[in-house]
Amino acid sequence: MFHAAIAALLLLNLGVALWRLRRGPTSADRMLAAELVSASAIAVLLLLAAGLAQPALVDVALLVALLAAVATANFVTRTWTLLHEESGSREEAGRD
Amino acid sequence: MSALALAFDLLLVAALLWLAWQALFDAHRFSAVAHFMVFGLVMSLAWVRLDALDIALAEAAIGAGVTGALLLAALGRLPAKAGHAPAWRRAQRPLVWAAVATVVSATLALAWVAWQLPRPGLAGPVAEVLPHSGVDHAVTAVLLNLRAWDTLLEITVMLAAVCLVWSLGPALSPYAPATALPGLPALTRLLHPLFVLVPAYLLWRGSHAPGGAFPAGAVLGAGGVLMVLAGAVHWVHDARRQPLLRLLLAAGVLLFLAVGLAGLGLAGTFLALPDALAGPLILAVEVAAALSIALMLMAFYLYGEPGR
Repeated sequence: MFHAAIAALLLLNLGVALWRLRRGPTSADRMLAAELVSASAIAVLLLLAAGLAQPALVDVALLVALLAAVATANFVTRTWTLLHEESGSREEAGRD
Repeated sequence: MSALALAFDLLLVAALLWLAWQALFDAHRFSAVAHFMVFGLVMSLAWVRLDALDIALAEAAIGAGVTGALLLAALGRLPAKAGHAPAWRRAQRPLVWAAVATVVSATLALAWVAWQLPRPGLAGPVAEVLPHSGVDHAVTAVLLNLRAWDTLLEITVMLAAVCLVWSLGPALSPYAPATALPGLPALTRLLHPLFVLVPAYLLWRGSHAPGGAFPAGAVLGAGGVLMVLAGAVHWVHDARRQPLLRLLLAAGVLLFLAVGLAGLGLAGTFLALPDALAGPLILAVEVAAALSIALMLMAFYLYGEPGR
């Protein structure tokens, strides 16, 4: 009961991340919002694993954690390149 | 508990609908891709709620992880100014409406057929033959023994997709990142052992619990993509290593076909596995398939044929 309530609260919290995802304004903001969602998804999965006594859910959480790192590495190396002339990201890139 | 579970499920459904809408119709390209990645994550939570852990694993690994990475890398190659699709021309309107009507009626027809399917489905017959299938997990038994034909075709489709991507031209070299990334090699060095350990664990688990070749291959492939990002994989571009690379790419399909033909000789039916050998054969096919899937995902990521 306690686990499920916290999981539902975390899911409700996703609304904030979805708002950031919609609003942006830079692609880095959107990427961070997506990472917030994957962190919340890991927490929800671990809570469900404990609450429903299903240890296999920990494997799903492990997978989500590993692939979140790949998504971030992809974003910084391949999407956020000098070619990318989106107003926000060029400003960020120019500051360096 | 049930009211809480209902609230949880309704939140999931609302988030899924919103994310799907945004991923399809957001005019901003990066925003659409980010919504699609989050959609994959929330979808895997929905599969967990539906008690389909194998699909949750595959969705988290392939849907949210690898497809998201491919889309992010593709976005980096596109000019940044979001090109808006031109509005429908007058002559195209009837075609669009005809397509919408076809999709809606086909969906309704499929839903009707699915509703009419005999219940409780095939879980009973599968449980009956499970002791003879060589594994203890029903999903793995269906994927690699009872309906091995479907899995063989899936891997063949992936191989055909690699051929298609490579036929478009030589491999693309990436653009320089906008900032210096001193942490990336260290991150790769720390994380890559995990990207090898976890697939081994998933493969081993596949015989008796959710896991198996597809999630294992996807995680191994994601680890390979991480190495590509850090610039640590040079051998795939080496002209002398091309035969080895192509052999490894095809290894899953080739071993699967060999096992299928052996079944034709031993048991009289293509892809039929003899009871005594089923366990080791399934494990061998799974290892080869996972390796091939991992390399195929890396091969997509090169966006063209290497070594040219």
